[in-house]
Amino acid sequence: MSLQDRTPVEPDVGVDEDGLDYDELEALLDGRVLDREDHVNAEGFVIRPDEVQQVLSTLKEEAGFDHCSAVTAQEYDDRFESIYHLKKFEDPTQELSVIVPTSKDNPVSESAAPVYDTADWHEREAYDLVGINYEGHPDLRRILLPETWQGHPLSERYNQTQPQVVPLREHANPLEEDHRGDGEDADTMFVNIGPHHPATHGVLHVKTVLDGEQIVDLDPDIGYLHRCEEQMCEQGTYRHQIMPYPDRWDYTPGGLLNEWAYARAAEDLADIDVPEYAQVLRTMSAELTRIAAHMLAVGTFGLDLYGDFTVIFMYAIRDREVVQNLLEDLTGQRLMFNYFRLGGVAWDLPEPREEYLDKVREFTADIPDRLEEYHNLISGNEIFQMRCVDTGILPPETAKSYGATGPVARGSGIDYDLRRDDPYGYYDELDWDVITEDGCDNYARLLVRLKEVEESAKIIRQCADLLSEWPEDDRTIQSNVPRTLRPDPDKEIYRAVEGAKGELGIYIRSDGTDKPARFKIRSPCFSNLQTLPVMSEGEYIPDMVASLGSLDIVLGEVDR
Amino acid sequence: MIPLQAVTLTDRILNLIGLDASTAGPLVVFGVSILAAGLVGTFVLLNTAVAGPYAKRKITAAFTDRISVNRIGPAGIGTIVVDSVRLLSKELIIPEDADRPAYDLAPILLAGSALLGFAVIPMGSGIQVADPEIGLAYVFAVASIASLGLLMAGYASNNKYSFLGGLRAVAQNIAYEIPLVLTGASVVIFAGTLRLSEIVAAQEGTLLALGPVAIPNWFAFVNPFAFALFMAANLAEVGRNPFDIPEAPTEIVAGYQTEYSSVYFVLFYLGEFIHIFLGGAIITTLFLGGPAGPVLPGIVWFTIKIWSVFLFTQWARSAVPRFRIDQLIALGWKVLLVLSLANLLLTAVIVGVIA
Repeated sequence: MSLQDRTPVEPDVGVDEDGLDYDELEALLDGRVLDREDHVNAEGFVIRPDEVQQVLSTLKEEAGFDHCSAVTAQEYDDRFESIYHLKKFEDPTQELSVIVPTSKDNPVSESAAPVYDTADWHEREAYDLVGINYEGHPDLRRILLPETWQGHPLSERYNQTQPQVVPLREHANPLEEDHRGDGEDADTMFVNIGPHHPATHGVLHVKTVLDGEQIVDLDPDIGYLHRCEEQMCEQGTYRHQIMPYPDRWDYTPGGLLNEWAYARAAEDLADIDVPEYAQVLRTMSAELTRIAAHMLAVGTFGLDLYGDFTVIFMYAIRDREVVQNLLEDLTGQRLMFNYFRLGGVAWDLPEPREEYLDKVREFTADIPDRLEEYHNLISGNEIFQMRCVDTGILPPETAKSYGATGPVARGSGIDYDLRRDDPYGYYDELDWDVITEDGCDNYARLLVRLKEVEESAKIIRQCADLLSEWPEDDRTIQSNVPRTLRPDPDKEIYRAVEGAKGELGIYIRSDGTDKPARFKIRSPCFSNLQTLPVMSEGEYIPDMVASLGSLDIVLGEVDR
Repeated sequence: MIPLQAVTLTDRILNLIGLDASTAGPLVVFGVSILAAGLVGTFVLLNTAVAGPYAKRKITAAFTDRISVNRIGPAGIGTIVVDSVRLLSKELIIPEDADRPAYDLAPILLAGSALLGFAVIPMGSGIQVADPEIGLAYVFAVASIASLGLLMAGYASNNKYSFLGGLRAVAQNIAYEIPLVLTGASVVIFAGTLRLSEIVAAQEGTLLALGPVAIPNWFAFVNPFAFALFMAANLAEVGRNPFDIPEAPTEIVAGYQTEYSSVYFVLFYLGEFIHIFLGGAIITTLFLGGPAGPVLPGIVWFTIKIWSVFLFTQWARSAVPRFRIDQLIALGWKVLLVLSLANLLLTAVIVGVIA
């Protein structure tokens, strides 16, 4: 791992040499902590539902918890519970869960949206699916399910058998809304961009109000691809049945990176060790996936700026094809890999090993030349720069508040990469760099992706060398994992990995059975997409399209 | 004064059947003129038919490292027929609140206006339907009717994307037609005439003889600056990258043609390609010496030249990103217009001093 110089900062309150000092944090909160829980990843502070804003803003301002990863809501027999998973961008290993229980009869909790912008959508999701009301939330509407939906499907009171019949006439017809703004003389126009539109990268619906060609107001409407991925995982057993699902969240393909997110969370939950050899295999295959995902992101970004079937898209797809072939040789699949297992991977490198590793090396050696071509073709193009430089501005503070991660955050100069900051796999043994760009614009985000491809190639090459030198008698691809996994009851964990789009986190609560009691996905795209209005309001439609492309969202992961 | 190529296609056909234009009855002349127009129209449509469903795909595929159509007929050439049948057999869907006469007229206007332009283009081998004294003005006038078609289509479709596309098309065409015409005018200063056959004639001869290689006296070589300006403005005029803003698919779906299907869509598609070829024909006539060229007959050279311009538009389409609408308008009014005015003035001064 590269030891970049990171500017030393004043340690926040509640930090000592070993990490967080939870007692000091509790003291900081001045008696507002009612109880303390022990999650696997961090301690949890239980607080009163009417003190959420006070507690969170104290933690954010004085203790430096500037990253609200996710909000998990769930229902117990006697209470509703919202968990705010807090972290620091400076050091994501310093984690804290803030647990807010509310009564069953009156599930009202204070909203965290004024403290963390990202809580806006996360709380809307909690309201939509679980049914907790967040007081003081700026816009508490359903987010994944349609407005006409009856009940909250994850609450115990929800009638699973009652069909949700919504007659056509009850659906809001967006066309019948007033096309104009307020007042007779207003000259704005309301346009639905999507859910079927060439630039939305899937089924995203963006409600826009235009003034001429400029965007006055913008509201992304998601949920068209909601497939109950979390609930499907709750129906599957830890050992085998969950692993195929992560491939389906981010299918660009983020597959192996997603699988790693689940594998990491479940392995830490159930105390499973992963043999080093398997970690190297995981690292290599995951980085191959990252290259494929970034290639697609660059290609589709090209589509947004160039028009359909242009050179850059086809070149990116051509180069991605090489990765896909390598992954197919390794995993037997091109898209839905299902290659990771708890405690390792499914199988070793294909025979003959050296031939395969040579192919991998050949590919990585080729990458700098390919990127040179990309830079000549796109990032060096003057029109391209006119379109991308200084458009879609996302200031770092805003990005942090919205919980933006991955290339989006790194394009805004936030030096945050879980592969380095919260090491897992074999990353901390290898030599590579975290790429950041200070442009905060569409161009910076593209550059980050292109440069990350180069870094990934470096990682892959080192892994390939390691694999070919690995002693033959030490090639354990899976540790010994019981056939049926039953983690201890009431263990809770939130673990994240660096997915292709950013921090992909999984929250799991076990209840002593072989299936998770609550499975929550923290999708990086979900948080990143929230920044779209910030980047686009006041800009032109083409800039909005470019910003959306530079966010690189996958609706499968946004809606889950 | 009798122009060099005063013999139009009509006259030639009349001569062929043993009649004289001055003695034949007006009805006969009219009939033969229609025949001549039909011949030229067929030639243009033939080029378009090859370009639209086939050549465009093959060219783009070559640029983007693909194979493209290759299933029907040798090298996939049968796709032309199959695609025509496919497109024409689709259901014609007309939006409920479409402004009917305008909605129906727009595609016809677009395709028709471009076809009309070919009436005065000298295609070599004596193929030219008419050769009026105001030839160049006529071509620009007829070609710009297309903007009206785009606006009609955009407005009449009752769709916001179409509306935006129509407005973008008009804004763009106005911004780029002025530099286009001004640059064309600089050629007129050189040639001293608007009659297209005479403009072609003025480009005969040699500009420079570098040993065995003789650079012809084409205006592209006489005034390369004007040529570059004209090529750029022409790209905007035909709406290809980096100026394909009126139909930018990733922004406003398909712009003015979003709501058009089946036959109407074919007409739009056709109209666009005829426009590209008309742009190519104007460039050929004004800057590339018209049908002039060694060995091969004029019509072949003419075809090669308009296809070269077509190739250029496809190249730009594949490799260049599109501007944003405000950048495009700024470029048109603040850069191209100024440059083309400067070009016009300089040309006028130079020609005035030399001549």
